[in-house]
Amino acid sequence: MTLELSGLSKSFNGQTAVDHIDLNVPTGSMYGFLGGNGAGKTTTFRMILGLLQPSEGHITYNGEKIDYNVTNQIGYLPEERGLHPKLKVDEQIRYLGQLKGMSKQEVDKRLDEWLERFEVPENRTKRIEKLSKGNQQKIQLIASIIHDPKLIILDEPFSGLDPVNVEILKNAVKELNSRGATIIFSTHRMEHVEELCESMCILNKGRQVVSGRIDEIRKDFGQKEIIIEGDHDISFLKDMPGVIDMKQIRNRYILKIEDESYAESIFNEIVKLGYFKRFQVNEPSINDIFISKVGYGI
Amino acid sequence: MSKFLATFLQTYSSKIRAKSFIISTLIIVLVIFVGANFDKIIDFFDSSEEVTAVKVEGDEAFYSQFKGTMDALDSGISVEPYEGDLGSAEVHLSIEETAPLAVTLHSDNEIPSEQVNKIETALGQVQRSNTIMALNLSEEEAQRLNATPDISYDIASESGSADDGGSAPGDTPEVNPLNAVVFYVTVIVMFFIIINYASQIGTEVAMEKTSRVIEMIVSSVPPVTHLLAKISAMILVSLTQLFIFLLAIVAAVWIFDFGSIIGDLGLEANEQTATLIVYSGIYLVLGLVLYLSLSAMLGSFISRMEDLQQALLPVTMLALGGFYIAIFNIWGEADNMLVKVSSFFPLFTPFVMPLRAMNAETSQMTLLIGVVILIVSIALAVILAASIYRNSVLSTSGGIFKNLKRIRKE
Repeated sequence: MTLELSGLSKSFNGQTAVDHIDLNVPTGSMYGFLGGNGAGKTTTFRMILGLLQPSEGHITYNGEKIDYNVTNQIGYLPEERGLHPKLKVDEQIRYLGQLKGMSKQEVDKRLDEWLERFEVPENRTKRIEKLSKGNQQKIQLIASIIHDPKLIILDEPFSGLDPVNVEILKNAVKELNSRGATIIFSTHRMEHVEELCESMCILNKGRQVVSGRIDEIRKDFGQKEIIIEGDHDISFLKDMPGVIDMKQIRNRYILKIEDESYAESIFNEIVKLGYFKRFQVNEPSINDIFISKVGYGI
Repeated sequence: MSKFLATFLQTYSSKIRAKSFIISTLIIVLVIFVGANFDKIIDFFDSSEEVTAVKVEGDEAFYSQFKGTMDALDSGISVEPYEGDLGSAEVHLSIEETAPLAVTLHSDNEIPSEQVNKIETALGQVQRSNTIMALNLSEEEAQRLNATPDISYDIASESGSADDGGSAPGDTPEVNPLNAVVFYVTVIVMFFIIINYASQIGTEVAMEKTSRVIEMIVSSVPPVTHLLAKISAMILVSLTQLFIFLLAIVAAVWIFDFGSIIGDLGLEANEQTATLIVYSGIYLVLGLVLYLSLSAMLGSFISRMEDLQQALLPVTMLALGGFYIAIFNIWGEADNMLVKVSSFFPLFTPFVMPLRAMNAETSQMTLLIGVVILIVSIALAVILAASIYRNSVLSTSGGIFKNLKRIRKE
């Protein structure tokens, strides 16, 4: 019972936008799509939804091809935000809910709940064009989840929101996931993937650079991070074997090492100098993995 | 609720509640009511008063001659000698000279132009007969002076031989005034509804596309279903507006005795009127569907609202072409080659075929062929619009031609 992408490719006028992606998104999981601009995230989502036909490969959801018979089970928040500017919030949600097979009464009931939850109940009868960008984004997210979909695809759901609203939306996404929905979302923000997702995929220029469970990706990645805090000068460590990089922020040093086996020799070296407040070996951050795989940061 | 119905009802209700719809409908209804009271409005502003008598001052011989002529003209104005007093509906005619005739017409009120014409005609006749008498012309000479030239025409035409009293140049089939009114109303209403609603559906499709909401919509409903629901809703909106106009006309006939105006204008049905009305209705609806489908397709080409008018230009030009062909051929030879050929060109058919339906010589088969042409064209336009819409709806690339090129490639 999963979403499966096999050998998925898409070309536009001879230019490859998505190049042989193979993914498996288990039911009930939260899956992150990472990639810079033009990496192929939105094109992949559009192919999953059937809005674009793949040039190669195929997509199945629960073993079946995705078509308009299953779209009622799917919720989609596009990257390019937009609603009917002249409609009122309730009219807009009612219309989009009805397109997902809901009755007017069902939409009205759930709309009240979601507006309360997103702390904007006063916007129910306001025209979309009168709302702030952030509030429009909340309404659009409500429109994409009001029908309680089993598969939710969110294309950069947190972009353009202030930290408070990001928190509100994150909690809503977590709750939907805890109720059994499979969620795929794309983002530029590594910390959101680290916080929310069990699995992820990094795309670069249409290619799938890395994918799988985040803990396994970290494990396989090999590199570790060591944080050392103390008053001694340890700049000599950067010349030790296995050390890839070293940064200093006041009395705190952050070292990148090729793998954990080099940590012990580093520890043995610094204890010779005396007392250190902190010596901590960390898993690599998603950001480190991204930079290492893609070659640049976002 | 089906997805088609959801889009259909949403579009219909939002358009019906739009200020532009309410205001334009109210204005036209007002115009209908004003038109129904046209005679009363004219009377209200018309200060002229119907003259009942002309009081003549002066020459006795002139008086009797003028009275005889006025009676012969059956003018409804009595001629009486002037005795110093003048009523409100009377005019004073004083003779200043008899050869040549010079008179002064005095009235306290405006005189209706129709009555002025009659008085002038009578005075002209009196002067002519006085001149004939003064010149001592015999009755025969007087008749010769008034004779009109006898012209006979010898023109070979396809429809008749020269010796069967063939028609004079420019002689065209007589147009029944009621049919002409039905035709004008149909073609003008069709033109304005097409221009108005073509622009509205173009705007609607373009706005959904440019506001990006379309991506959410087509992830729920097939683009073709969505487009058809939108076109159907717009057709129903336009028919609703037409129905309101029709109700206003019926109400005007009942409330304001509009029928008497129609009677006064001598509008009477003939054997072609029923055919014309039925086919006008059919062509109106089919024409609307055809033009709206094309406009929706053109609206989906653009990525910026600024390009909308440019995209809709072909629709406007074609509607204008059909409209002009129809309007400018009604009083000419209605079935000329231009009319015949253009009536089978799908985008002109809705305008030109009602013109041919007025002509008794146009067969039912021809009119039905026009209907079939339109139905086939609509089917093709909808299929084309739907396939283009599906491919263009998510495209945000620049101009119309770029889009067309891209769609052709895919």
